[in-house]
Amino acid sequence: MAEVEETLKRIQTHKGVIGTIVVNAEGIPIRTTLDNSTTVQYAGLLHQLTMKARSTVRDLDPQNDLTFLRIRPKKHEIMVAPDKEYLLIVIQNPSE
Amino acid sequence: MSLTPTFLSLLLLFLFLFCIFPLFYFMTNQLITHSLTHSLTHSLTHSLTHSLTHPLTHSLTHSTAQPLRVITEDTCLFHYLVPAPMSPSAKSMCSETGSQDSGDGNSRTLHWDPDPSTLQLHSDSDLLGRSLRLGMAKVTQVDFPPKQSVSYSKETQTPTCTQTHTQAKPAEEEEEEEMAEPKPAEESKEEKADQEEKQEEVTPKDLTEEEKMQLLHSEEFMAFFDRGSRIVERALSERVDVCFDYSGRDLEDKEGEMQAGAKMSLNRAFSDERWSKNRVVTCLDWSPQYPELLVASYNNNEEAPHEPDGVALVWNMKFKKTTPEYTFHCQSAVMSAAFARFHPNLVVGGTYSGQIVLWDNRSNKRTPVQRTPLSASAHTHPVYCVNVVGTQNAHNLISISTDGKMCSWSLDMLSQPQDSLELVFKQSKAVAVTSMAFPLGDVNNFVVGSEDGSVYTACRHGSKAGISDVFEGHHGPVTGLSCHSAGGPVDFSHLFISASFDWTVKLWTTKSTRPLYSFEDSCDYVYDVMWSPTHPALFACVDGSGRLDLWNLNNDTEVPSASVCVNGSPALNRVRWAHSGREIATGDSDGQVLVYDVGEQICVPKADEWTRLVHTLVEINENRDEGEELAAQRLVA
Repeated sequence: MAEVEETLKRIQTHKGVIGTIVVNAEGIPIRTTLDNSTTVQYAGLLHQLTMKARSTVRDLDPQNDLTFLRIRPKKHEIMVAPDKEYLLIVIQNPSE
Repeated sequence: MSLTPTFLSLLLLFLFLFCIFPLFYFMTNQLITHSLTHSLTHSLTHSLTHSLTHPLTHSLTHSTAQPLRVITEDTCLFHYLVPAPMSPSAKSMCSETGSQDSGDGNSRTLHWDPDPSTLQLHSDSDLLGRSLRLGMAKVTQVDFPPKQSVSYSKETQTPTCTQTHTQAKPAEEEEEEEMAEPKPAEESKEEKADQEEKQEEVTPKDLTEEEKMQLLHSEEFMAFFDRGSRIVERALSERVDVCFDYSGRDLEDKEGEMQAGAKMSLNRAFSDERWSKNRVVTCLDWSPQYPELLVASYNNNEEAPHEPDGVALVWNMKFKKTTPEYTFHCQSAVMSAAFARFHPNLVVGGTYSGQIVLWDNRSNKRTPVQRTPLSASAHTHPVYCVNVVGTQNAHNLISISTDGKMCSWSLDMLSQPQDSLELVFKQSKAVAVTSMAFPLGDVNNFVVGSEDGSVYTACRHGSKAGISDVFEGHHGPVTGLSCHSAGGPVDFSHLFISASFDWTVKLWTTKSTRPLYSFEDSCDYVYDVMWSPTHPALFACVDGSGRLDLWNLNNDTEVPSASVCVNGSPALNRVRWAHSGREIATGDSDGQVLVYDVGEQICVPKADEWTRLVHTLVEINENRDEGEELAAQRLVA
């Protein structure tokens, strides 16, 4: 458990990282470093998007699966590491 | 044939009993019922013959061995009270009594105990010899957890209201009885392993802290996190920006070039399309109150004659925005600018026309709030130097123009100077001052550099007010002057350096009129020079070829310790260290202000720098004396 904490802290203090969210399979945020409303928003929306992305990948090739999702808006970069049950979302500002 | 009448009588008896026992039920008097039934059964048994026992029992067992009936309350009681199970036992009894072959010889009286378990006890022994004996089944405590989805209420996690109910259920006949109340079975956290899946509520509102902690400790989460964080960390460290735009919209990342390692690196480049393009940066100053603010003054824009000639922009280092914090302009080209030291809102500018202007960032105007008059009492020549000297309570604005006039002003009233002084050398030659510097902490003595290549020391007040000494050495106009300002254990305030058009930077001390050392590394006009405010042996100079050099006297006096060439090689007009000594701002001829970060190993002084500088100075002195001796010898020879 301490490793998880340490890794989370390491990710959070990485250069340019704005926030980190861990979401479970239902889209409920478990750990977050952002404020509540933002977290809920991100978690809900990204959860849906990840599901859609995963289903797309699976449709194209049933043997395939989604391993990493990276969304690059103009201002930040959102990285989603999906799993069977959880999502790790990291928001980074790449210009720093 | 002999069966039928007895059978009929039995049937009649049963019917009779069926009729009677509801009545008994209503009377709710067990004793009476007991006695009645007792007598009835007695009569029954007595009426029956032996020969009937066996088949009768068989038939009786057959008739009574029908466990799959829907039982009502009456029949419930019926089963309790009616000796139907008893009848076999009665039969057996009677058979036994009849046959009298039971060895136990227990005069079996029916213990009419409502507790079925005891009934069972009694009847147990009866079943020994008999097969297919209907016996009372042991009462089992059945606990059927209902198969239903668990819904958690957020508030209570500990099972306060739900408890496992063990309901005593009677005999196997009552297996089909409806449960009294289906109670939700208790789920303790430790038992259920699939609780994680079932924890959601209809609207995924939230999980309680405990649930979250539970999740975080779970095995799957660890596995997931291990994998996921690995990928994310790799992705984070890859700083490739695939959307990088080279077209120049994002100014900060383009300008300048990254220098080797940690020596000097470009931090920011400030330039404004409208106000700073095509203008030359004439002066720079860092704000003493807000270390991130920097004022840059610009001269006129030849290509935009309708724009104001003089512009001063206040830039902010702290934020990433590329536009100036404040924009000030005035009618005449601004040749020098400074933050008023004890007035955080005021910016002073000296212009080409000789006016001193004052801008205030509290007002919304971009034009000056105060101006000195264009009169003979003030300046009539370009003012290249402005400086606020003094203390909080007693300070003055000093300005010197190129006609040698030095005026001191009070910032509250710029309508006329408080004091003015003509700087003349040897009572005749006016000194065309291009640069001025006050030593650290001194308000009276100062040094000025002039167009003729000499440096003068002067006093403001006292009997010897005016020029005192002349320091000759430069072969071209002196462009920049800086007095040693790094405070420390040893006082070096007698040192100053000057830069000039003759490609050299010279180190002087006020104690001697000959330069201590001459730095001749540059190949172009050296436009400005400044000591580091923190490091005693470090100074920076800029020249016309776009080079910014850092010299460390303790390291090497022959070559600069660090050097940066600005992109595009514009002529660098000004250089200013930030008050922290960690950053350097330079202004160039294209109207750009570049801020460089200086590496720590260069700009941060170590504890022994001061003593080392003493040694260095001694060495320099010796070398100079030797050099002079040699030169003198050569001359002689």
